[in-house]
Amino acid sequence: MNQADLSKLVSALRIAVKPKPRLFSCPEGPAGRLKKLRATVTALVKYERIELNYPRAEEAQGYAERLISDAIRNGDCHKHTMEMADYWLNEKQLVHKLFKVLVPRYQNYNSSFTRLVLGPKTYPGYFAGTAILELKGNPFPALQPETHNYHYWLHNVLLEEAKKEFRSAREDRNAGTTESVTAES
Amino acid sequence: MLRRAVLQTFRQGLAQSFFKRYAVSLTETTVTHQPIETSNEAGERSVPTQKTGDESRNTVVVAPPEFRFMYPEFLPDPAMETRNRLREKLERMDMLQRRSVIEIPEFYTGSIMAVTVADANSPNKFARFVGICIQRGGSGLRAWFILRNVVDKQGVEILYEMYCPLIQKIEVLRLERRLDESLLYLRDALPEYSTFPLDMEPERRLNNSVVPINPLKVKLRPRPWLERWERQNLQGVEDLNLPQRFYDKAEKVAKPWEKYDLMLHYRKTIPAEEQEKIFAEIHSQLQQQELKRKLRRRRGPDNEQ
Repeated sequence: MNQADLSKLVSALRIAVKPKPRLFSCPEGPAGRLKKLRATVTALVKYERIELNYPRAEEAQGYAERLISDAIRNGDCHKHTMEMADYWLNEKQLVHKLFKVLVPRYQNYNSSFTRLVLGPKTYPGYFAGTAILELKGNPFPALQPETHNYHYWLHNVLLEEAKKEFRSAREDRNAGTTESVTAES
Repeated sequence: MLRRAVLQTFRQGLAQSFFKRYAVSLTETTVTHQPIETSNEAGERSVPTQKTGDESRNTVVVAPPEFRFMYPEFLPDPAMETRNRLREKLERMDMLQRRSVIEIPEFYTGSIMAVTVADANSPNKFARFVGICIQRGGSGLRAWFILRNVVDKQGVEILYEMYCPLIQKIEVLRLERRLDESLLYLRDALPEYSTFPLDMEPERRLNNSVVPINPLKVKLRPRPWLERWERQNLQGVEDLNLPQRFYDKAEKVAKPWEKYDLMLHYRKTIPAEEQEKIFAEIHSQLQQQELKRKLRRRRGPDNEQ
């Protein structure tokens, strides 16, 4: 049993975090793992929507959320946050984008800052296919259609009427049986 | 309760910004409740009508930010596989119950403490040990600390479980911190750094609001050592004066990327929102217990007279 590390205060992430990290096989070993994830996080912040393989996308999502949540919590005058932003974003103009664009955008969010959508699986097999990792609030058209149900849509109108008919028919049947029971008694 | 400023400046900055940020946002979160994903693309929180805690009708309890350093065992083990919210809540209730019976004072690694334990085999039925706290760990009811002393030229370390019912009394003779969180290197240090008189009297603190950091740099005995101290970035140890090959190997074996591994840090700690929830839960009870103890201390000598 270990005590929690108290040296840093971190915000709770609003994504599902797995207990163990994925260890990607890299020629440089564990050092190379963070290097690859750095490239992914940089690309995510730069392009705001990237398509890549699912395992890397899931790991990078965690790091991107951590980076943005630290930036929101501590701001750009915090030494440790600036060091992390400097390490994780390979292009220095993206550090400005993080603090000047993304932090105000996500300041009042109650949900996660990224979205991970499963992409096509181009070849059959036991591995997960591609995934699309995007920052919420990006300027592109939505990947998935909005799942709204408006009452004035035709099929919803017809369904409502059908439900009402069914319920009134059931009440008539119940009323009919109780009348017959009372009549018999 | 007196506010205690934590000396290390980066911690103070963190503590202040945490308190400022979360004292306000706590009122917001308690006053309004929003589903996670609303109909608009951004899950925006609605701005509450009451902004400050003073004006809101719902009073919000916020524990001081130093609580996480004073009572670290109330935070659960961060390992996700073994977490159980109900068990943690029950443990916290039991811990508060034990604390109402016995006073478990605030202490840190580097403080000199005396612990009295009920011992059936000793002539007085009690066994008292004085030592310096070299490490503390565990969470919940299994929280422990290790006291070290050198008795008759023999180094002795005893691990005490803080909530063990056999413990009769825990006194802090000198409350201070050191430059490191773990003083295991005292095992390889010269014995005078671990020797404390067994009949040591509790020292009165000059300044109650600040826990002093002792900047002592300890001298180690010549090698062989129990651990490779040159690889551990110890602040409280004098220059080790090793041949260069040791430092070269330490560099080769080091993992400098772990400093930047954000998810590794996340998995090793409890998020701030959860921490403040836990401490807000226990804050009022701990305050009440301290008040009762103060009253008892004031009344005690009067009653005896």
